[in-house]
Amino acid sequence: MEEKKELLRVEHLKKYFQTPGGTLHAVDDVSFTLNEGTTLGVVGESGCGKSTLGRTILKLHEPTDGRVFFEGKDITDLKPKQMKPYRKEMQIIFQDPFASLNPRMTVGQTISESLLIQKAFDRRDKAGLEKRVAEVMDLVGIAPRLVNSYPHELDGGRRQRVGIGRVLALNPKFIVCDEPVSALDVSIRAQVLNLMQDLQEKFGFTYLFITHDLSVVKHLSDDIVVMYLGKIVEKAPAKELFINPCHPYTKALLSAIPVPDPDYQVQRIILEGELTSPIDPKPGCRFAKRCPYATDACRQGDIPVKEVAPGHTVACNLV
Amino acid sequence: MKTVEATSNPKQRSLWVETWRRLKKDKLAIVGMIFILLLFCIAISTIVIDLVTHKSFYDAYVIKQNLRMRFKGPSKDHIFGLDEFGRDIFLRMLWATRYSLFMGTFAIAIATVIGGTLGAVAGYYGKATDNVIMRFMDILLAIPSMLLATAIVAALGTSLTNVLIAIAISYIPTFARTVRASVLTVKDQEFVEAARALGASDFRIIFKYIIPNSLAPLIVQATLGVAGAILSVAGLSFLGLGIQPPTPEWGSMLSNARSYIREGWHLTVIPGLGIMLTILSLNIMGDGLRDALDPRLKN
Amino acid sequence: MDNNLLEVKNLVINYETDDGNVHALNGVTLSLKDGETLGLVGETGAGKTTLARGIMRLVPDPPGKIKSGEVFFEGRDLLKISAQEMLKVRGQSISMIFQDPMTSLNPVLTVGFQIEEVVRTHNPEMKKSEVWERACQMLELVGISRDRANEYPHQFSGGMKQRVIIAIALACNPKLLIADEPTTALDVTIQAQVLDMIRALKKKLNTSMLLITHDLGVVAQTCDRVAIMYAGEIVEEGDLHQIFKETRHPYTQGLLGSLPSLAVDVDRLNPIKGMMPDPTNLPKGCKFSPRCQWATERCESEHPELRELPGGHMCRCFMTEEK
Repeated sequence: MEEKKELLRVEHLKKYFQTPGGTLHAVDDVSFTLNEGTTLGVVGESGCGKSTLGRTILKLHEPTDGRVFFEGKDITDLKPKQMKPYRKEMQIIFQDPFASLNPRMTVGQTISESLLIQKAFDRRDKAGLEKRVAEVMDLVGIAPRLVNSYPHELDGGRRQRVGIGRVLALNPKFIVCDEPVSALDVSIRAQVLNLMQDLQEKFGFTYLFITHDLSVVKHLSDDIVVMYLGKIVEKAPAKELFINPCHPYTKALLSAIPVPDPDYQVQRIILEGELTSPIDPKPGCRFAKRCPYATDACRQGDIPVKEVAPGHTVACNLV
Repeated sequence: MKTVEATSNPKQRSLWVETWRRLKKDKLAIVGMIFILLLFCIAISTIVIDLVTHKSFYDAYVIKQNLRMRFKGPSKDHIFGLDEFGRDIFLRMLWATRYSLFMGTFAIAIATVIGGTLGAVAGYYGKATDNVIMRFMDILLAIPSMLLATAIVAALGTSLTNVLIAIAISYIPTFARTVRASVLTVKDQEFVEAARALGASDFRIIFKYIIPNSLAPLIVQATLGVAGAILSVAGLSFLGLGIQPPTPEWGSMLSNARSYIREGWHLTVIPGLGIMLTILSLNIMGDGLRDALDPRLKN
Repeated sequence: MDNNLLEVKNLVINYETDDGNVHALNGVTLSLKDGETLGLVGETGAGKTTLARGIMRLVPDPPGKIKSGEVFFEGRDLLKISAQEMLKVRGQSISMIFQDPMTSLNPVLTVGFQIEEVVRTHNPEMKKSEVWERACQMLELVGISRDRANEYPHQFSGGMKQRVIIAIALACNPKLLIADEPTTALDVTIQAQVLDMIRALKKKLNTSMLLITHDLGVVAQTCDRVAIMYAGEIVEEGDLHQIFKETRHPYTQGLLGSLPSLAVDVDRLNPIKGMMPDPTNLPKGCKFSPRCQWATERCESEHPELRELPGGHMCRCFMTEEK
């Protein structure tokens, strides 16, 4: 078992937004480490901050507090110009395959764009560009004849492959995958997920896989982090999380997922209440309002983070 | 193992080709477009004739007065009749085309470029930049356009250039607003974020990503703007601030004919119809363009 | 006629567009009994929403055209009744709820008013106070306090909005509720809440439901019977056990096999090759044959009929004949 090198380290990362209603604590004190070639699944529902987390790590949002280390270097305070070389190594695949592609650019142009912006090829080196674009299209499984097609002429699955291709062209080390298959048809999802898995095996990508669908990350992730209203409530190796979920939210989340098997019995935990936004949150556990086991201690004071098994931590009073 | 060919065969069409295809279906818009094209041809032909004949044709037929025949109605020799100075109205209408059409188009072109850039910058950078630019636009908008144009021409003099400047300035705020609104929508879209994530500079983002996707409303506004600009040219000439006699221009022809309504219907109706048909055609075209550019593409 | 509440027979609906004739529904036949919940499963382009609209006679015309077929509801062919009579059916006998709760409610009217509206439309003689009382009752039925009846849609969250929509749909106690992807836009824990509520309400009011979804998980939990749609046709139909455990059609098998599931541990998923066919240019023969690993020459040239297998299990595949 070779020791995997640390690629990304996030320390007490915070991202707050000022809104007319108050300060939105989108990401509130998140810390984790990601090793090369592994996949970290980030799971949660609306308002948990997972998308903001991904974008803040990539400095698409400026962090409010905390540190981000990439390959050991502190990139937290870098200005956009200084970030540019890092962007070749740190990329993002978006959720909406239609909105994330420029409607006025063809498949070929979109993929070339990455190469041109990062100056991987010179604009005059048409032959070199074309060759690389063809390579990339082949890797992601888009037919060569579609190189001059526009996004509106392609279906969701193909568009998403273009989104992946655009990122792949730069051969990055780290890829944030923001709900990459949620907008796709069921039968296409498996194709794209397999593609992502194959590419990881081939090129050694490190993924931060953001999704609300736990079943999608189950076989792809090495570790999984569950977020709720800006905070990490549980972190565990993938298999461990499903066998032994400890946090009440994780348990509720798992039980809520409809399994396509009429015989699958599950103790369904239906949560009361709504998903709110973490605006000017009060002290105490943010899940307390909806938690069936909440005590007074949960509603005040700090919530301890306990390690219940190697690599498995839970932020809860009752564990 | 059977290879699975995708059964959908995407016809590779850019968005502009798609737009043209849909525009073609709108018969009314095509009629409008043909009329405008006809006017362009007329305008260019008259310029060519002037160049070739060194304006001798112009002097001999367009501005030559023939007072004995003044007010004569439409006849075989002069299909639109003669005006108050006995000049052939048909020829004057043809020679006047270039002023309305080109002035209108150039004025709008200038306004589009300046207004568009201002609007794009305001929309993209927001905050103080946005505020400063848009408040200045508000000031311009607060002044009625004819009044503004009149004031500028009165101050700078009645040359063609000044009329052009006056009209352009009065249209800049509208285009700035239109482009700013588009930019505000587009800049938050994911593909712009994607470009930023790749490390694209602001310049690249504005000119390659945002502006090309904000053009649709601007194009429609511009088409309708040309119509308005033509009216403004006519209006300024009507007031005596635009094209000076004896140069023919539809607005001034109309204005001068006011005193002679009793002498013949053709003096007022012909120039009036000319203006009306041009504006109508431009409006129809603009409507057709707006429908064709509508992103109801997502079938 | 064995007490079928709804019977759709050979419904064919096309959309005549500039890009060609879109064959949205190609002869759909299905039936629904009183109190039953039928899950209609299919992906984008399968024709599920068109079917729902066809039943409600809400197909936009142009470009949609109902070419042929019958839709029997409580014994009457809805396609043959007058438009006036159809108005009485909608909202009162058959209700529909749509996928996106964010845009289904009128933002300038209070939720109470919107529920009242449907009650009043179908009960013009009812007193104002009675109408209001009914609206408040419906709110409470879906788990919203009646104090909120005077609030506007933007004051509710996504899940709550969807509950309001359900309240509107059930206000006149319809016999059939058509739900088009009612929980797709909702978060998982909210989806669980809403599905739970729908199940309870269905039981209480004995409403039949046509649940349209792409999520086989939701179907497994909420439905009695399932119909699988592909390229405008029903390709398989049966009860839960038959569809999930005795799957016969290759598409259904492919679908089930490609799903990442909590219940099963896999190293790699098993997708269906290829893509949905172009609805303006459907393949000859079996419409799934280009993607089917068992396709034969017969499959590519001949179009299979929907055959009944023992136990009321229907399947549209030549492989089921070799028995």
